[in-house]
Amino acid sequence: MKVAVLSESPEDEAAIHILIAGLLGKQTQPIEPSRQLRTRGWPAVLQVIPAELKQLHYLTDTHAFAVVVDADNSPLHQAAHEAPGGAVAKCRLCQLRRVVAQTQQQLRPVSGRVPVQVAMGTAVPSIEAWYRCGLEPYINEITCLQNPQIGSDFHTRNQMKRYVYDTERPSFPLETQRAVEAAQRLVQSLSILESRFPIGFGALARDVRSWTLG
Amino acid sequence: MQALRAVVEPGHFQITQVATLGLLPTTIETVEVILHWGVPHEGVVTTTHWGPGGGSWSHAKCSGVNLSESEEQSLNMKLTGIRIYSLHTNAIAAPVGLSPNPELREDGGAFAGVLDQLRDREPERFEALNEELGRWLPEFDRILFDTPSSGHRAFLLRTRKGRHALPATDLSQGTLLALTMLTLAYLPDPPPIVCLEEPDRGIHPRLLRHVQDALYRLSYPESVGEVRQPVQVLATTHSPYFLDLFRDHPEEIVIAHKVGQEARFERLSDKPAIAEMLGEAPLGEIWYSGILGGVPVES
Repeated sequence: MKVAVLSESPEDEAAIHILIAGLLGKQTQPIEPSRQLRTRGWPAVLQVIPAELKQLHYLTDTHAFAVVVDADNSPLHQAAHEAPGGAVAKCRLCQLRRVVAQTQQQLRPVSGRVPVQVAMGTAVPSIEAWYRCGLEPYINEITCLQNPQIGSDFHTRNQMKRYVYDTERPSFPLETQRAVEAAQRLVQSLSILESRFPIGFGALARDVRSWTLG
Repeated sequence: MQALRAVVEPGHFQITQVATLGLLPTTIETVEVILHWGVPHEGVVTTTHWGPGGGSWSHAKCSGVNLSESEEQSLNMKLTGIRIYSLHTNAIAAPVGLSPNPELREDGGAFAGVLDQLRDREPERFEALNEELGRWLPEFDRILFDTPSSGHRAFLLRTRKGRHALPATDLSQGTLLALTMLTLAYLPDPPPIVCLEEPDRGIHPRLLRHVQDALYRLSYPESVGEVRQPVQVLATTHSPYFLDLFRDHPEEIVIAHKVGQEARFERLSDKPAIAEMLGEAPLGEIWYSGILGGVPVES
């Protein structure tokens, strides 16, 4: 199964590929070459999604596309957002879904081409929280819900980096190494990740499990 | 950068040629350039008296307590160890006459000698440098050497595919600049204070993350397993792309504002409500917009 991943950095994409393979219970074939965003962060991901999805649809035989972004201090996705008309403008999962749906509506059918299947998730407050899941009991979505400043606070974000990388300024190889190591640990117990991050990771997991295997 | 050079080398500039603050050369007597030190010399001030006849520096503690001889020596060593690099690709690529203990010149000269010494004295570091080179510029896999004439050394880069050795003089400017900054970060004893003029110059925007890594390697050696003193790095940039990379560390960004004939410096983290101002936007975009200052004055 050929899978493309879009996230805020190539390091995270390496880890997400591993998590997706774990959710599917089979190896996937990452789409190369990976693209990079000019700037790290959520706005860049949102801007790139339409072009990425169109490129995958028209120019590749990719089966599935996963998008994961950090929630930072945005409102957490709630069950009420799923109701018709219930989407919340500042909820990042709602925004991802809106942009993906709009783009999918613009895609022309391609002969012999099955539409690209899409999965979306948000890491609360950032993907480093997933990487530490199971190592610190207080890192979970509920804690973040109760302390919304966590995602916006420079100090807290950097503290999270220190937990994961032992430095607030990790190099590219170190970030990749730690992200991949964390993902390899997490796939051994995805149920823990899903129970601690039922909203952001849960959404991704449900989407991925709904994919028809290519 | 030039103010720092005026502190370190008061004789470097002719004051009458650079002091233009509405002063007539005949009225210029002495200009003071004052440097405030941070940890581990917090509270120490170095003052350079810079005038038409050259200049000199002196250190003093704000508390009035005298500096010990060893502390004064330590400060003098740091000041004389400051290097202000304004790299030029012709200098970087030029063959160099062999000499003991070559040091990278501020224009990038003697680079082949520095690489040669690193290979001979620190082979493990040299191998690590080659590996990192392969990550930055995957088309190359190794630094090679040549002796273009007796007593001279030049360097080449070997292509990963085909194993062709390209002389330094045939390499792109971006490749030469990137390799020089990378090498600086892998030296066993880099200068204590490294100033870099526009480290993003000539570099593909995708490589800027690697340049940031190299600068952090100098400043935070413990984070990469190095056992040496951290290097204070000062770098200037006008690149929004490069600035974006420092979004999580506003304390590391100093914005230079031109106000009339003065330059004022403001640390980004000192701006009130900076996190709210930045919101979700890339730092480079916000800076470019002018909201943070540090943009050319429009007529």
